[in-house]
Amino acid sequence: MGETNPRIISNGRRYMGNMAVASVLYTAAVFGGAFAIRGDNTPQWVAIGAALLPLLPALLMLRAYLIFLNGLDEFQRRIQTDAMLVSAAVVGFGSFAYGFLEEWANFPHLPLIWVFPALIGIWGLAACIIRLRYK
Amino acid sequence: MRNRLKVLRAERNWSQADLADKLDVSRQSVNAIETGKYDPSLPLAFKIAQVFGLSIEQIFSADEAAQAAE
Repeated sequence: MGETNPRIISNGRRYMGNMAVASVLYTAAVFGGAFAIRGDNTPQWVAIGAALLPLLPALLMLRAYLIFLNGLDEFQRRIQTDAMLVSAAVVGFGSFAYGFLEEWANFPHLPLIWVFPALIGIWGLAACIIRLRYK
Repeated sequence: MRNRLKVLRAERNWSQADLADKLDVSRQSVNAIETGKYDPSLPLAFKIAQVFGLSIEQIFSADEAAQAAE
């Protein structure tokens, strides 16, 4: 049986709507940034601006999530914060360990850009697993 | 912590969804509290007591292990 509380349902819908808008803006920022730095003579200030441009919609995503989190009840918020902790621990220790492997065992270099998506991905996965524990 | 939520809800013919609406929480939260997998905060415990018209002690009690330790 799914959720029936109108406030909780509306909170979820608002989150999906806010995330959809932020995702469209993020995609536009990534493509726009890539377009802006095409060619070999891109000025440094343009490159920096283009590189930081996707952060603005990413901040909108963070805002959407915080609004969503505030709209949850205490039990659901507990699941989200537990998942956040699991994700921070896994990604933190994982990247720390991989840093040593890169330096001392010649593992291939991984760009830092993957840290944030890994954090979000493991967070979502951990939330699903933690939610199952309470079923 | 043990609770009598399921019994009290059944006495009033309320579904989990009905109780969730009265408490303004999700149905999953009611289920987790009922099954003893999640202990509510003090404000939510007061709200539950208020909805049932009982005191917190009439709904929640420490489990045997906790009582034995006291």
